[in-house]
Amino acid sequence: MRDAQRGSAAAFEQLFRRHWPRAYRAALLVVGDAAAAEDIAQESFLAAVRALDRFDRRRPFGPWLHRIVVNRAIDWSRARTLRRELAADHAPEPEAREQHAPEHADALAAGLAELAPEHRAVIVLRYLLDYTPGEIAELLDVPRGTVNSRLRRGLDRLETSLREELA
Amino acid sequence: MSERNVRRLLDAIPADPDAEERAWAVVQAAHAAREPVPRRPRNRAALVLAAAVVAIAAAALSPPGRAVVHAVRKSIGIAGAQPGLFRLPAPGRVLLSGPGGAWVVGADGSARRLGAFREAAWSPHALYVVASSPTMLAAVAPNGTVHWKLDRRDIRFARWGGSRADTRIAYLTSGRLHVVAGDGTGDAEVNAQPAAALVAPAWRPPTRPGHVLAYITTGGRVAVLDTDRRAIAWISHGYAEPRSLAWSPDGTTLALAAARTIVLFDAANGRARTVPIAGVRALAFSASGRLALLRTHSVLLMDGTRPRTFFSTRAALAGLAWSPDGHWLLTGLPAADQWVFLQRGSGRRVLAVSHLRAQFGGLPTLDGWVPGT
Repeated sequence: MRDAQRGSAAAFEQLFRRHWPRAYRAALLVVGDAAAAEDIAQESFLAAVRALDRFDRRRPFGPWLHRIVVNRAIDWSRARTLRRELAADHAPEPEAREQHAPEHADALAAGLAELAPEHRAVIVLRYLLDYTPGEIAELLDVPRGTVNSRLRRGLDRLETSLREELA
Repeated sequence: MSERNVRRLLDAIPADPDAEERAWAVVQAAHAAREPVPRRPRNRAALVLAAAVVAIAAAALSPPGRAVVHAVRKSIGIAGAQPGLFRLPAPGRVLLSGPGGAWVVGADGSARRLGAFREAAWSPHALYVVASSPTMLAAVAPNGTVHWKLDRRDIRFARWGGSRADTRIAYLTSGRLHVVAGDGTGDAEVNAQPAAALVAPAWRPPTRPGHVLAYITTGGRVAVLDTDRRAIAWISHGYAEPRSLAWSPDGTTLALAAARTIVLFDAANGRARTVPIAGVRALAFSASGRLALLRTHSVLLMDGTRPRTFFSTRAALAGLAWSPDGHWLLTGLPAADQWVFLQRGSGRRVLAVSHLRAQFGGLPTLDGWVPGT
């Protein structure tokens, strides 16, 4: 981080390569739109570049970046919902898919899409990015009890979705 | 459902593997463009004291205005900038104009002042320049020879279009649109047409016969005018705060930047495709048809109808031009007195030049980058 702050391109690339995959995937799982996820993750890194000088090196970079990514993804999803109400014929763009998605991954993605963006964010932070409920509460600025209830309801919803898929 | 299963499936949902490289190209450019944090000195107290002494001496010896400009440049400009426009990173010639007059700069950095003109634009094949001061319109060769001039009041946004054999120049005076032939004859106000807003008109590229001009009316409508027949081909509805017009090189698409959208018109019939993006202030098509957009703090490239950030910075940007080979974009950072060259493709270099005010007698406006030497 120190070298990246001093302008080292190699150090910054290392930072980017280490954090991009999770940041992008987190955005993708919250918004369900590959192009939007790419924009959100990219804009989050650009925000990180703009704030690089002020970044406190004693703190880890990941949670700081993830907070930006997930909050932007939630904002985007909320705005998308509003737009859909205004123009129902503009459905969300289909997510770019590879040909061979692992078994049940599509069903999980479909289940995630049925959750509210705030619930998706909690699931993603807990099970993709491995934050504790306490850390998630801090990242999203919500009470810890809210995080726990969202996790519970989210998991229940995903389980139902997978069962329906298997049936 | 077990937590382990959720983790496994979240990791397995497919993602676009190319997204990382696309994002890296943009983020890398932004990182390269920032001013790095200086290395902390070992003997900090002594160096701080020395710096303070130097700063006080500098403040005492240099004009305050220069010191402020320098401080601003240090805080918002691109690091490692060349101290002047000594060469272009790609072949061609750049036209610029401003308080210090109009200038043509060659790829080798050679600069020729064309005269005391505040605005300038290339002729369609870059053989001449149409230049204007508030009271004069002139056709000038790149070596500075004035071929003809017209005395008019309040001239703005002169633009030259047409084929090699037959060209026209359009310009505005106090909201009225005028057209004059490329040899300076037949100057006439286009009286029958709605008055024009203070936005540069744009000639359709000479891919088809005729002299077709797009301009914006005072009501914010885009009008496409056949100037030979003095007939409007089509006119759009009004748009809030129209700012820039540009034709695609094949003449099939006309792009408009307005307050909250860019609009891509089918040139044949005026059918509009709207792309919601706020704050676009300038548009430029490359020779191959790639559309670049300029917002206050960023340059974007259109990917189909999707704008993608190509470069962003903290300071406000001004001006946008493609290199003739389409490998570079040029924009300006007025607050830092810099121009910034942005490379497309795998290299993705960001090159900056500074001290333009001193070199060209005032902060210049970027008027185009064309082929030739």
